[in-house]
Amino acid sequence: MKSYLSESAQQVPGLRGVFVTAMPDCLLFDSWTDEEAWNADELATYFGDLVRANRRGLRSLGSWSSDMSVTIESADTLLVLAELSEHFVCGCVFERDVPLGMVRLSLRRFYETIRENLPQITAEERARAVRLMDFVHRYAPDPHTVLMRVSARTGISTEALNDPASLDEAQTDAIEQAAKRILGLETISL
Amino acid sequence: MTDILSLRALLEPHDLTFFAGAPYVYHCHHYNLFHDQTVDDVLGEERGLEVRKNAAHSAFGAFLERIFAKADASTIVEKVQLAQGLISAMGHGGLEIDLESGKATGNFLHYGFAWSEKYGSKVKRFEPADGFAAGCIAAISSLARHGRLGACDVQELACIAQRQERCEFSIEDKNVDLPPAIDSVGYLTHLGDSEGGIWEEEISAIAKGLQDFVKGVAGDERGLVNAFGVFVTMHFANYYNETAITAVLEAEEKRPSSATAVEGLFREAGHVCVFNTFGNILLSPEWEALVGPLVGEPDEIIRACAAMARGLGFGRWSVAEFEANRRLVLRSTSLYEGPWYLARHGKSDKPRAYIFQGAALAFMVLAHNVKWSERPSLTQTFYDSLFRKGLGFKATPTKCVTMGDAYSEVIVEATS
Repeated sequence: MKSYLSESAQQVPGLRGVFVTAMPDCLLFDSWTDEEAWNADELATYFGDLVRANRRGLRSLGSWSSDMSVTIESADTLLVLAELSEHFVCGCVFERDVPLGMVRLSLRRFYETIRENLPQITAEERARAVRLMDFVHRYAPDPHTVLMRVSARTGISTEALNDPASLDEAQTDAIEQAAKRILGLETISL
Repeated sequence: MTDILSLRALLEPHDLTFFAGAPYVYHCHHYNLFHDQTVDDVLGEERGLEVRKNAAHSAFGAFLERIFAKADASTIVEKVQLAQGLISAMGHGGLEIDLESGKATGNFLHYGFAWSEKYGSKVKRFEPADGFAAGCIAAISSLARHGRLGACDVQELACIAQRQERCEFSIEDKNVDLPPAIDSVGYLTHLGDSEGGIWEEEISAIAKGLQDFVKGVAGDERGLVNAFGVFVTMHFANYYNETAITAVLEAEEKRPSSATAVEGLFREAGHVCVFNTFGNILLSPEWEALVGPLVGEPDEIIRACAAMARGLGFGRWSVAEFEANRRLVLRSTSLYEGPWYLARHGKSDKPRAYIFQGAALAFMVLAHNVKWSERPSLTQTFYDSLFRKGLGFKATPTKCVTMGDAYSEVIVEATS
């Protein structure tokens, strides 16, 4: 898949990077870019979150459809985000001066190529504690301290937090409270 | 103010610093924010604030009592003016206290301002950040209004860290229980013989230069010290020790399952300190002027770090052994955590010098995982990337003055 993505991405004019995000956890599935400074894991997460928020917004407006895409134009970059399937989101970053019509044309073919190579996935229902720990790891400042901070706030040992699927309901609630404090959120919607 | 600042003293040969008898050190905003955050992580926001505020009240107040006596400040206005000037000179920002109305205003207070700079775009803050300033205002109010500490309490009503324009405080007459502040006599009682290590002559010479340099550092027109790419404070060892050890001991008593993590967080605070403050000093023009161009060899970085610890008032930190890429044995006969713990709590059954432990690990990380020749920017992204790659070293405390040992020792070894 990796070499395949790399080969096909390099045939798309003006493409600087492609990031395929696995949903609903917003985790990087695959990527290609020549930009060494870009952190693929972070970008995949941000793009996944962006598409999820967009999906919710459109649903609230009653105008969601599975083939929607988001285009963002900045001073030197053109970003196009699209849902490839229920389980995968694709973010493509282009040079700013590539014509939008050309981008759309290229992407239509590029998306098809990626879709053909994506695995068939049956979404697994993950424990809430697992999703909470993933979430707080993803967004907290100083991610390497998250386990210790959640432990300090909840009284749950780091060993137990390393296996969040085994935690009970009260412990999960405690993790949610800790996550809200660490991230400065009033609610967490997962 | 110049006369007052001359009351700072270096206790040689221990490399501990005292200001009118109060032990003080220099720490940057990265360390200060992480330290306070950890206290609140362990104790919760309400109890954490109480502990931090009362520790500041006690530490700053005990110091202020001696300053007022030495300066012969007898009127309320003299005391308030002097105290506000000290807060600014020490890099904690600007305070305007009005005891008539029972209100105070803070501009560019170190904690609130630095928090909004560092975390403001990432995290929304629910509570004010300036527990330290609140405790200082309580100390000033207590001494100015009642002539004794523990007679006033202060609440921060608005905070710049909560995206408000300035920090605002209310002052009320209320008795509060304060922890004791350990002074220079308390430290001296628990200090043993000083001991050096390898490269002693070079480390001592650099430390001396740094000690002279930091003596000239004082707050700017905002009351902040913006040096070496960080906001630096001249701060009270009593504050750090009281808050950290209270948090650790309460975790051990009430939630022992998390005690290991809590100790890890206070070690991480030491790691944060060395990476940001020591690292940025190494990259500064002031360092080059003091020591010469930085080459970036591991032994050079280790020597520099030991000297910086001494220069910033952390105590006599010495290198007992060093083998590049493999092993560091860091020792200290005097560190600002040690005598304080013995004076306040007596001997411990485990090593309690958490800053020292975290800093020792960071010495090896700075020496081996940073390409100094490329003059890197020591950003948060860079710091996070070090952990993603794996630090490659582990630190083990083997002796500690808090346990009654003659020196504290941490052995840092490569993990592979």
